[in-house]
Amino acid sequence: MSGERQAADGIYARWLAAGTGVAFAFALLSLLLYLSGALPAFVSPDELPRLWTLSAAEMMRETGAPPGWRWLEYVGYGDYLTLLGIALFALLAALCTARVVPAFLAAGERLQALLAALQVLVLLVAMLGLFPGAH
Amino acid sequence: MPVADAAAAWWLWPLALFVFCFLLGIVAVIAGVGGGVLFVPVVASFFPFHLDYVRGAGLIIALTSTLAASPSLLRSGLASLRVVLPLALAGSLGSLAGAVAGFALPVSFVHAALGVIIGAVALLMVSTRGLDVLQVRPDALGRRLGLAGEYLDPKSGRIAWHTRHTGAGIAAFGGIGFIGGLFGLGAGWANVPALNLLMGLPLKLAVGTSGLAISLINSSAAWVYIERGALLPAIAMPSILGVMLGSLIGARLLHGMSSLTVRRIVIAVLALAGARALLRGVGVWP
Repeated sequence: MSGERQAADGIYARWLAAGTGVAFAFALLSLLLYLSGALPAFVSPDELPRLWTLSAAEMMRETGAPPGWRWLEYVGYGDYLTLLGIALFALLAALCTARVVPAFLAAGERLQALLAALQVLVLLVAMLGLFPGAH
Repeated sequence: MPVADAAAAWWLWPLALFVFCFLLGIVAVIAGVGGGVLFVPVVASFFPFHLDYVRGAGLIIALTSTLAASPSLLRSGLASLRVVLPLALAGSLGSLAGAVAGFALPVSFVHAALGVIIGAVALLMVSTRGLDVLQVRPDALGRRLGLAGEYLDPKSGRIAWHTRHTGAGIAAFGGIGFIGGLFGLGAGWANVPALNLLMGLPLKLAVGTSGLAISLINSSAAWVYIERGALLPAIAMPSILGVMLGSLIGARLLHGMSSLTVRRIVIAVLALAGARALLRGVGVWP
């Protein structure tokens, strides 16, 4: 394997290690703020044993939970701040894959760069809900 | 549990989930299986949570576990981004479609199908043995995509590898991604045989590359679960933390325990949880 080829793996690994550490720390801190009551909860924890037996659609209807990306407006609540921490994990793959596109191009590997760019596109489509059956 | 009692101590079930996931993390490392494949059928069968949140948490467990492991696998050459990119592209599309389908299908059908899939996983674990190093002839697509390399094995020295049946492997990952997205599974149980037996990668590289692929594939489905409100922090976070801590302990215990015995226990648990999910789906054991 050439140095250029290994470079993309190394860059991906570096970004992923750093990103996972940040996401984990954020998720843990937000969970502590949520559980300690330092931040208010959008859904009262006492309500959860009744609500978690309902489907996600039923729970959203019953609690008036914000649809789509509107939950980002509610990160002042402990439960949504924790959800943001979890969402950071899902964001990492797109960030790291986007970062290796220039590395592949620099190594003259256009096909690998194209595959990486397409992967980022699919993740963006998923993230933004731009697929059939979304919402 | 009556709702009034449950409301008085809402944290009891998340605490029980944390303890279960801690044990799951230990067992999964020793048995060499992903946590998600055990988590979803067992928690769906024996905890009071709706299947939507169990699938969501299972998906995130698989995602976070593989994210944490991937950097060291990449650095040691035991995972290949080059191999993962075409496979993960097909897998991500499949996973996205599976996640959407999971919310459109009746929950009883999803329970029953989960039971069938988990039974198949148990059979697959009983019947397949990985091959350490394979002599394979590279195919044209694999050569075109540059799917070749080498890694350093402490015992055998430098191991060169390349892929065969690359098109079939990409198609297989599309199908596996669909199942993973639908049920919230990591799908290492299917990825590894596809990479090792079908595409001809050495077993160690197949295991590492499967983990890296899951971290990409599950990310696409994760957004569907977030958007549908199926990622409940009170369920997902104890699961993530339990599995992560358990995995650390499991890695320390790995050399002192019989992985064969643990693997047999895992297969038995899978068979039991699969049967429970199937019976629940068909209404025999609600």
